Formats: sequence, structure tokens, C-alpha cells
Amino acid sequence: MSENTTQQGVAGHGAFFQDTNLNANEAEAATAWVRNHVDRRSVDLGERMDDIREHMWELEKEGEIIVHRIADEHKPVEVETLFGWKKRVPTNQLWHHKSCGQCGNIPGYPTSLMWFMNKFGIDYLDETDQTSCTAWNYHGSGIGNVESLAAVFLRNFHQAYVSGKQHGFENGHFYPLVHCGTSFGNYKEIRKYLIESAELREKVKKILGKLGRLVDGKIVIPEEVVHYSEWLHVMRNRIASELQTIDMSNIRVTVHAACHYYKMVAEDAVYDNTVLGGNRTAVGTSVAQALGAQVIDYSTWYDCCGFGFRHIISEREFTRSFTMNRKIKVAREEAKADVMIGIDTGCITTMDKNQWIGKAHDMNYSVPIIADVQLAALACGADPFKIVQLQWHASPCEDLVEKMGISWDKAKADFQEYLKQVEQGNVEYLYNPELATNQQINMKTGA
Amino acid sequence: MATYAEMKEMFDEIRADFRYDHELNGCLNCGICTATCPSAQFYDYSPREIVQLLWTENVEQIYDAMQEKIWACAQCMTCAARCPFKNSPGGLVMIMREVSIRHGMQSAKDVLRPFGRVMLKLITTGNQLSPDMIQPDHFPDWGPNIQKVEGDLRVLRKAIPVRTLQTVETAWEVSLKTSVEMYTIWEMTGVLKSLETMDENLFDVIEDFIDEKREDYEDWLESHGDE
Repeated sequence: MSENTTQQGVAGHGAFFQDTNLNANEAEAATAWVRNHVDRRSVDLGERMDDIREHMWELEKEGEIIVHRIADEHKPVEVETLFGWKKRVPTNQLWHHKSCGQCGNIPGYPTSLMWFMNKFGIDYLDETDQTSCTAWNYHGSGIGNVESLAAVFLRNFHQAYVSGKQHGFENGHFYPLVHCGTSFGNYKEIRKYLIESAELREKVKKILGKLGRLVDGKIVIPEEVVHYSEWLHVMRNRIASELQTIDMSNIRVTVHAACHYYKMVAEDAVYDNTVLGGNRTAVGTSVAQALGAQVIDYSTWYDCCGFGFRHIISEREFTRSFTMNRKIKVAREEAKADVMIGIDTGCITTMDKNQWIGKAHDMNYSVPIIADVQLAALACGADPFKIVQLQWHASPCEDLVEKMGISWDKAKADFQEYLKQVEQGNVEYLYNPELATNQQINMKTGA
Repeated sequence: MATYAEMKEMFDEIRADFRYDHELNGCLNCGICTATCPSAQFYDYSPREIVQLLWTENVEQIYDAMQEKIWACAQCMTCAARCPFKNSPGGLVMIMREVSIRHGMQSAKDVLRPFGRVMLKLITTGNQLSPDMIQPDHFPDWGPNIQKVEGDLRVLRKAIPVRTLQTVETAWEVSLKTSVEMYTIWEMTGVLKSLETMDENLFDVIEDFIDEKREDYEDWLESHGDE
């Protein structure tokens, strides 16, 4: 034991904690069991876990809540989650619950998703009557609380439940599809608290009542909280067989699954034994696999991206150091990836934007960073600029596009021509823009 | 420096949170949480330490950890997904952050000061960030190629083929009715009060903005009363 560690302990562990000073082999032996445990799907806690949905159905039976059901008209596909429980993923009549980070920063995310829905003739609604989940702020700043998160959740999901009315449909016609990983994790957590706590339900009922957001005096809770990557997962084989136009067999793909997708309320994340042996969440990876790309597993797959919620904004030295060291460098050096795909807003922002700064420390690593749905859209012939909106990315997406056999320069020149049309007011839309606003008045100025 | 009674009051508030018993179930000091924690690699922070302090009810050191350590957590919840006891150190950190804000701790004010601009955007528009915030002058470390086609931001946003996304000051277009509903949620859940405790100036700006939007909405309701 060195004098130094005797005096100071190990950072973050308290003064009583001492460095073991193991050599590399001893350290390897001491920690191997942990690595074995974390590198595979862990289901050993399943028997001790309650399925919150059973309590949800009981509450509905008791007349306490209304459950927004996934009906036949939503054309659900059944998948398995962590412990082998069943989850139904609706594929039709979807209400887009947008992500503030995606819409503000990675708009090719929602546009690629809607482009696919158009290709399959799937009904959906995208409207202005939606707030963000506010969980990015909560996890970053601590300003907010369970009550505010629950009220926002129930407000947005109530709107999804009643949104069909103004278009001549019954309540429950459109089912919410959550675009953001943090919204997904947060909503699942809050749904759990709402089902477990009568006190919380009572508190938020007062708020929802004041907003006119109760149905028959009850709050509306969704049967499942569904992430867009789950929709893509269940549609992957149709995408590959009906829409794919580009051979992806020479593309090496690494996947970064969002922490808030599969680590928050972990029992609800989708797993599939045909995807990396069922040892990783299936979403994201399954799409790359279906497209025929080379899926490359890598040693730091389990690490977060370094986003940190507050850190990406006001403590960026942590964010960029972590993402460069644990994600970008590994994807480039170890996996030799042509692209790293993500399934969430924050991860893609973090990994896409924090590569250039690595040069300051001679870390000259770069990897194109895009979402699974953007990669799938490119493979199906979507325009890299008009639809996939790669112009908003900082990482070298042009390298990926060229390797896929698409001319970046031509696509860019075509888009620049299109911008002249846009300036003239000739804008192309994925859906009738009048459907977005309806009778609402719209906020004209931001803060 | 707080008195022991004040520190004890804060600890009692932490453990009175209804999530506390979900998030803390026991601890064998195995350290899996810290081994897998991104923040532990860069900060003087350990999720294991947070759990141990709470588990052993070490009131003074809990208060000490609330000064800085709790703000190092990246909220990835990797610790929670791996803990054999199903503890959630990240979840406990959120309870501690909420309490530190309610008590107006100076450390929380210091940490959150650079977050003010985002807070203003979020509380007033419901969007965490907007296209006009993600510009090279705000993020010089993101490099010169922050986007691949140069041009007027309004035109570039107009070229997104989705009506709700053709915005510059919000990530998507939010209806005024929606925003007003959100203000009610902030008010009724004590979020505005927390904000006032943290930053009175920011609170004043936000309060004025909200008042103005509510008036706009009242005017709209009045002018569309017969429809």
C-alpha cells in the first residue's frame, strides 16, 4: 500500500477506502465475475419483480382509472421484454409524441420515421398540442418533481387519447408513440408511481381536473408506453423486404442503446434471442441486422454516452471526454465502425457533436453518428438531405453515405437547389400541414 | 454551515419521499454501481458512497455530499440497472437534489446558474432547447462543421417537410393553449416556487412571460367565444 493512498483514500470512496494495488492479472481475476454478469442479459431478478400492468388492470376494474387500450385497429405486434414478459407494440394509428432534442437538433429523426409510415400507408397524427416530457430538465437540474412530471405525462397522454375526436374518430383512436428515450424512461417510471400511489393519483387528479384533462372524472393511463425504436423493431423485416434498395453488407455498424431506454424500468425493454443472443436490448441492433449490415459488438457497449443532462449544457468537459474515450475511440479503433447508430436524442447529440474537440488532445477519431431510423431510411433510398436531414449532423456522415453508394455532392447540390424553391414558398410536406394545428392558436414567439 | 438539526431535517425530508423505499433496499458494498458509473471515472463521486451514507444515516456526510457530489451524477441509471439489491443510487440523487433546491442551498444555486437559459426556454415553451440555441457561437467546442449546409436558419428549418418543425425559437410549434396548461402545472406543483428560490431574477422574467401569454390566451378566447 503506498503512502499516498494511505493518506488520501480513493477519490469518491471516502478516506477509509484504500487502493488494493492489485497487479493487472490479479485485478482481472478479481473482477471477472462482474464482467461475466454484466456482459450478458441478466434475468435473475425477474422472479422478485412485480408486473405493474397487473395492478393497472385492477385499478381500471375498480373504476379508478381509464386505460388507453391497444386495439386491433392499432395492428399490434407482440414482442418479449427482459424477463420474457409480453409487450404489444402498436403499428398503426399513431400519435407522434415528439422529442425536443430531436426536433430542435436532429430533425431527420422524426422525418425519417414519418417517411416510413407514409411508405406503409400508416395513419398518424402530429400536432402542436404537446409539450415535452420535461424530464431532461428534471434530470439535469432537479427543478421539477414527481407531481409535475406526472401531470405533464397525463396531460400529453390525455391529448393523445382524445386527439382523434377533432378528426371524427372515437377516443383512443390514435395511440401515443414516444420518440425520445428519456421521455420513454421517465413516462414508464411515472406510470409505475401513479399505479402504486393513490396519494399521487389524488394530487394530480386535481391538476388534470383544472385543465379539463379527465375522462369521466378519471385519469387516462396507457396500456403500454411505446418507444419509436420498438415500432421500427417490429417493422424491420417489412422495411428490409419491401423497401430496401441499397446493399448494406459492406457497412460495419455499432449500436449505442440509450440508457433511459433499457436501464430505467429495465423490465420493459425489448429483447429477442435472435439479436446478439438476446444479451443486448434488441432495438436498434435488430434493424441493422435486418438490413444485412455487419453488426459489430464492442467492449464498452454498456457505457452511457456521457450526455449527463446538465453536463452536456454546463459541464461539457465531462461529456466530451467520456464520449470520446468510451464511445468514439472504441467504435473507431476497436470496432472499426462505419457508423454508430443510436435510438435516442441525447446520445446522438452527444456523440455527433463532441468529436471535433478531441483534436485538442490529439484524439483524432471520428465516426458518423445517426439514428437507426435514419440509417434504415438511407438504405431504402430516402433523400439524405430532404428526408434524412443529415445537414444538421456534425460527424462525418458524408463518408457513410458515399460508402453506401450514394453521391453526397449530388444530393447536396440538389438540396441547395431545393432551398431556392423553399425561399419562394414552395415547400414539400410529408403530410397535410393543416392537420397539425387544427383549431388551436399557435405560439408565435419563444423565450 | 447548517446546524445538525437543519441537516437532520433535510435527511428526514429525503427519507420521507415516497420513492425512498423503492430506491434503497440494502447494500453489501459490492461496488458494482461505482465500477459501472461514468461520473465516478471523472469526479470525486461514487454511487456506492451515496447509498452507504443514506443506509447508515450519516446525517453530516449526507449534507456534505449534497454540496457538490450529487451534482456529478450523470443520471444514466446504469447503477440502478446493475445493483443486485435493486437500489437506485441515481434515483436517490434526484431526491437529494430536490431537497437541496427546496432548501435553497448555495451549492445548488452555483451549479444551476449556467443552466438558466435552458430553464427559461423550458419553463416558458415546454421545449428544452431550440434551433436558435444550437448555433456555433453557443457551442464553439462543437467545431466549425456544426451543420453541413450553410444558410439562413429560417429557410433551413422551412426545408424540414413537417409543419410542426418549421420553427426557430422552439423545437416544434406549441399551441398557446398547451403552453398555458403547462404554466398551470408548473404553478400547482410548486415548480415556479422552486425556481424563485433558486434564481429570483430568472423567476421574475419567467413570471412576466407567463402573464403575457395568459393574457394573449384570454384575448383569443374572448375573440373566439362564439365559435
